[in-house]
Amino acid sequence: MSLALKQTYERELSFDEVVAKYPEVPRLIIVKIDVQRRGVHYTDTALSVVDPKIHLVRDTGTRELFGGRAQEKKSLPISLLLRDGTSVITSPTPLEQNPYLVDLVNGRLALVDNDEVIEYVELWRRPRYYDLKTSSGIPMSHVLSARPQRLSLTLSNYCHFWTKNQGCLYCDSNRDSKQLKKEIGIPRVKPQDISETVREALKEPGRFSTFCITSGSILAGNELFDKEVDTYIEALQAIGENFKTKKFPSQMVATAFNEKQLQRLYDETGIMSYTSDLEVLNEERFSWICPGKAENVGYQGWKQRVIRALDIFGRGNVSSGFVGGVELAKPYGFIREDEALRSTLEEAESLAESGVPAFFVVWVPRAGSPFHDQQSPSLDYFVQLASGLHQLRVKYGLTVDFDDYRRCGNHPDTDLSRLL
Amino acid sequence: MPIQLSQEVVSLINDKGAFKALATVDESGTPNVVQNDSIYVAENGNIHYLELLETSRTNHNLVRAIWFDRKVSIVVSGADQKSFQIKGKAIEVHITGPLYEKHYVEIRQRLGDVDLSGVWVIQPEEVIDENFTNRKNEEETKRPFFRHLDRLAKV
Repeated sequence: MSLALKQTYERELSFDEVVAKYPEVPRLIIVKIDVQRRGVHYTDTALSVVDPKIHLVRDTGTRELFGGRAQEKKSLPISLLLRDGTSVITSPTPLEQNPYLVDLVNGRLALVDNDEVIEYVELWRRPRYYDLKTSSGIPMSHVLSARPQRLSLTLSNYCHFWTKNQGCLYCDSNRDSKQLKKEIGIPRVKPQDISETVREALKEPGRFSTFCITSGSILAGNELFDKEVDTYIEALQAIGENFKTKKFPSQMVATAFNEKQLQRLYDETGIMSYTSDLEVLNEERFSWICPGKAENVGYQGWKQRVIRALDIFGRGNVSSGFVGGVELAKPYGFIREDEALRSTLEEAESLAESGVPAFFVVWVPRAGSPFHDQQSPSLDYFVQLASGLHQLRVKYGLTVDFDDYRRCGNHPDTDLSRLL
Repeated sequence: MPIQLSQEVVSLINDKGAFKALATVDESGTPNVVQNDSIYVAENGNIHYLELLETSRTNHNLVRAIWFDRKVSIVVSGADQKSFQIKGKAIEVHITGPLYEKHYVEIRQRLGDVDLSGVWVIQPEEVIDENFTNRKNEEETKRPFFRHLDRLAKV
């Protein structure tokens, strides 16, 4: 471990100290946050019980929007489940970065730190449709990816903000997009491939409770993003063919569309909820970190579009996500964690007052992103952030049913909100 | 500390005709009791409770129990005044995977178009024999002062 990294960790409160400091925050959620923050390393003994026929392993053909912390591509487990049903979406991390170990202890997989078992864990399971191909010959695992209870469709990893070198600075989606094309030449999936895959996925009883659709931003069209909207409508209609009700539990994580575009999406498809990520809850830092979003829509414009989506999707069905911790990125981010926390929660409250819950993902500097050499904030920071966002939901009576522990699993703050 | 349930208790819990209820507590310590037929003893001796509703008070209380290490209690009563209370810990919930799928299919076969939130795993820590006659005899033997005199008077 580098001296600089070691010194930084020594200044922070330890895991046990954070657990003791916040008795009102479940230890299991603090475990999740810290594992997401630090990543994991699978020991060879742990990998000896991983069975790609049973467990979900990282397949270069699986369509995920983002990559991980390590450059190395191996068939490792995708993620973990804790005993309370909490998912830990985390990425393999080089040992020199001080990750948790996933090891085999007493015949079970366990998270281990400093030779101590922190929690026993389960691996995500492979759905049956992963073994099948569409009628056009595409492996269904390349069409839809699976989480413990969620089907996910990533229409395109390519984000058009990058064409003018204006991608978000924490993001690596384009690196993965190029890699997917180069390594396995995944063809663009057609609506029929999507429909057929959904049909097979639904044959597994109780396996999925929601559908999430997302894509890199597409700027083209008569109006900005019209092409992206068309792409979503085409895919959602193909998905919808498989349901007996017009609307089905689903989430679209997309660019900030105008009201006309949102109305089309709502009227012409079965989509039930809409998330458009502000990414950084501070206008100045947003403009630096998300230059493409800033130039094309702007912070205030993005925020207003999300709020206006409430008129179409309704309260409880609209949200905005952000990359928790990236507001502290160097050199233009907040210097102090307490300032960053206060500012972020104030802006989250502004959204909550309007009826929009904000939630975060733990910022992990990704190997293929411009911020690849930076460091996540402290565990203490993320625990306060999760707790603060949950308290805002309590205060304003907001729910996030479409993005909770079961239907997503990637937000520590919405894990807390399973009690709402 | 975890304990092994006796065969008598296991048989009673797994008896479809037995009365079963689960008690939990909320954030403020207020108890919540529900009658539920979907309580079973698994092969490893833990108790499985099927929760159908994500938003039920019991489900929320079980989440609190697993998060904050709170106990839960199950009462089971059958024929011949057999009755036991089992106190234990919620140690796990299955929201996906083979056990979840098995129960998801079975509960829908049994009850029709219902959903399954989770299969809660409760580890038994204490069993109390709640049969009234047994309890009365126990008290009168161990605590002989706890009797009214008129009960002992010559008629």
